[in-house]
Amino acid sequence: MIHDVLIAPFTEFEFMRRALAAAIALSLGGAPIGVFLMLRRMSLVGDAMAHAILPGAAIGFLLSGLNLFAMTTGGLIAGFTVAILAGVVSRTTGLKEDASLATFYLASLALGVTIVSIKGTNIDLLHVLFGNILAMDDQTLLVVAFNATITLLVLAVIYRPLVVESVDPLFLRTVSRAGAPAHLAFLALVVINLVNGFQALGTLLAVGLMILPAGIARFWSRDITGMICIAVIAAIASGYAGLVLSFQTKVPSGPAIILVATALYVGSVLFGKVGGLIRQIFPAPHLEA
Amino acid sequence: MLAFASPARAPGALEVVASFSIIGDFVKNVGGDRVNVTTLVGPNGDVHVYAPAPADAKKIADAKLLVINGLGLEGWLPRLLQSSGGKAPITVATNGIAPLRLGSDADPHAWQSVANAKIYVANISDALVAADPRDAEAFRANAGRYAAELDALEREVRAAVAQIPPAHRKVISTHDAFGYFASAYGIEFVAPTGVSTEAEPSARDVAKIISQIKSAKIPAVFLENFGDPRLVSRIAAETGSKVGGTLFSDALTDEKGPCPTYIEMVRHNIKTLTSALGN
Amino acid sequence: MAAQVQFRQIQFHDVTLGYDRHPAVHHLNGEISTGALLAVVGPNGAGKSTLFRGLVGILKPLAGSIATGGLDVRDIAYLPQTADIDRSFPISVFDFVGTGLWRATGFLGGIGKAAREKIAQALAAVGLTGFENRAIDTLSGGQMQRMLFARVLLQDARLIVLDEPFNAIDTKTSADLLALVKRWHAEGRTVLAALHDMDLVRGNFPQTLLLAREPVAWGATSEVLTAENLVAARRMCEAFDDSAAPCVADDVPSQAA
Repeated sequence: MIHDVLIAPFTEFEFMRRALAAAIALSLGGAPIGVFLMLRRMSLVGDAMAHAILPGAAIGFLLSGLNLFAMTTGGLIAGFTVAILAGVVSRTTGLKEDASLATFYLASLALGVTIVSIKGTNIDLLHVLFGNILAMDDQTLLVVAFNATITLLVLAVIYRPLVVESVDPLFLRTVSRAGAPAHLAFLALVVINLVNGFQALGTLLAVGLMILPAGIARFWSRDITGMICIAVIAAIASGYAGLVLSFQTKVPSGPAIILVATALYVGSVLFGKVGGLIRQIFPAPHLEA
Repeated sequence: MLAFASPARAPGALEVVASFSIIGDFVKNVGGDRVNVTTLVGPNGDVHVYAPAPADAKKIADAKLLVINGLGLEGWLPRLLQSSGGKAPITVATNGIAPLRLGSDADPHAWQSVANAKIYVANISDALVAADPRDAEAFRANAGRYAAELDALEREVRAAVAQIPPAHRKVISTHDAFGYFASAYGIEFVAPTGVSTEAEPSARDVAKIISQIKSAKIPAVFLENFGDPRLVSRIAAETGSKVGGTLFSDALTDEKGPCPTYIEMVRHNIKTLTSALGN
Repeated sequence: MAAQVQFRQIQFHDVTLGYDRHPAVHHLNGEISTGALLAVVGPNGAGKSTLFRGLVGILKPLAGSIATGGLDVRDIAYLPQTADIDRSFPISVFDFVGTGLWRATGFLGGIGKAAREKIAQALAAVGLTGFENRAIDTLSGGQMQRMLFARVLLQDARLIVLDEPFNAIDTKTSADLLALVKRWHAEGRTVLAALHDMDLVRGNFPQTLLLAREPVAWGATSEVLTAENLVAARRMCEAFDDSAAPCVADDVPSQAA
């Protein structure tokens, strides 16, 4: 019976296996990024990015019609531009990262809407660009897997400067010049994960599996390495359980995965070891020393 | 009985309003240059959910004849008629056709069978003659010629279907407009179980469709309303079926599209079906 | 004691540092020799923090220059006043202090057994043994300051710049950390500290720079911290003058330490 519910859907149907593979890849790449985003107070960057890519996608559409590759490439370029500009401005002026990003993504969105309206089409370009985890073809799977690999590799390299830059940026400035490149590399990773995530899996999943697992992890670990591990596990578990849920009911796959993640999050808010509400209301007796 | 002199382009041409593009096409073919046809729901429009504009009321008021499909297709019409106050006679083009059922109601898509189309044409011809008897000869001649074209089309369709191996004569589609076509020509249109086209399908929905296609051995998938074309491709890949092209049912296209006339629409559909279902 | 390579002194060439064109440090000339133990004192807004920021390279001078001849950015350890440290960041005391080894490990190098020993020793030196696994948001002010000192220890820098390191911490901690400062001085490192506590300065720092935007006095502590000098310093106005005219350079005589 358990086997029927938990294993059978994946052995019987190829689209389920592919969806699971995509969910795992997305978790491996996106969850660690999400932890850093949350710690740097950039959790809303996903939404911002979904709008910032519009002019790039619009130009891709103008040049090649409804060609996914052209539009995604355009979207990536637009996303990079916005992220890098925002990063540079926040590092060289007094404007903080979130405000800097907000200004650039709004400008980008306005530009995108203008381009689209000049062309006179009423196709919802962004809608065309956003995919579905149940529709994983070979090419999309490759892209998602590639993302995850690149992300893990780059993160491993920039991990230490990124951590130090997040906790004590002034200190990093006085000991190393690695701060700015690490920061920009991180932003580039964010863009890649988001844009490719949108195209493969839609905005809800791409952003959701970045941010929710980070929120979950916050309640179970006091250490960033531990957080990243928990976030990845939470993301994979949500992906798996969400797909099973969508298989057994009429709930669409993306929302199902996010609903599971949300349930885990609520559970963490209530019962989490670190700052969970129940622990705050009913604290364990204090220790001797 | 005497037709009023009308302020039309062709002197003495009859002002006719057709409810939507397919009927408009029939009327043009029967009336030739003796009629001025105005269509309410134009090319690529959705006749099921049309929202009439004030200009439409004027068109009806100025018309000498109104030709509609009937069978519940134009739900928006009664109110429009009321507001326009037009006095022109209304011809229901499906008169005399025994309707199939679609759920609990009558299936309005009767034109999908070419044999029915001939009945449409006959009704329209009678109505035009009654509205403008001076041109009766022209109308009847046109109608006769067009009916012959429809006969040829009918033979074409049957021949094409005969090319398809009998076991392959079924598709899965969210279109519910092909009942008459299926009944007339023997190609089964299977609806995917439990899926509404608007919502995003759950994994269960997709699994059900895949199982359905596999067990019924359906060779082609016509799910273009399904939202994400990549999802349709995935379903086709997993079931070994082909992704069919686009089928047109409720409207003609404009001049630039593949189906600006009824005959071209039927030809397009049958060609799309045979290329998807043939070996 | 770390091997000392002689480097040239720090030289201030008519340096003016400030914000929005208003000078916070005005026309400073002077030198600091290797191995000096220098206190920088002055009223609030005297420019002490600004001077340090200029010295470590975070703030560019509005005029003039600071020569740190031979010193790399990694040879300077800087402890700022209000540290922009994100205390809510999930990092342990051990890992935080460990970043002090940046010079040795770079950003890819591993932390091996030897390095772990060093970190443990640094924690012991500041009295934080047993705090290794604590998250930094659980530390008191005094413990936080001890932790920052431990990091400075690990940095093994030739020039150590401390901005008001004993503010708002208890006497025991101050005493312990002061002992560390003395140890650095004994090791031949150059130490600069901005301080408010005059008694502490008189008791422990051989040299003092009395700064009141412009240098008031610079030299041996006993000669600098006289009553008149302190009065002169207090007369300095704290707020920037919005109606000030652009400055014409004076020729202020050099005041060597």
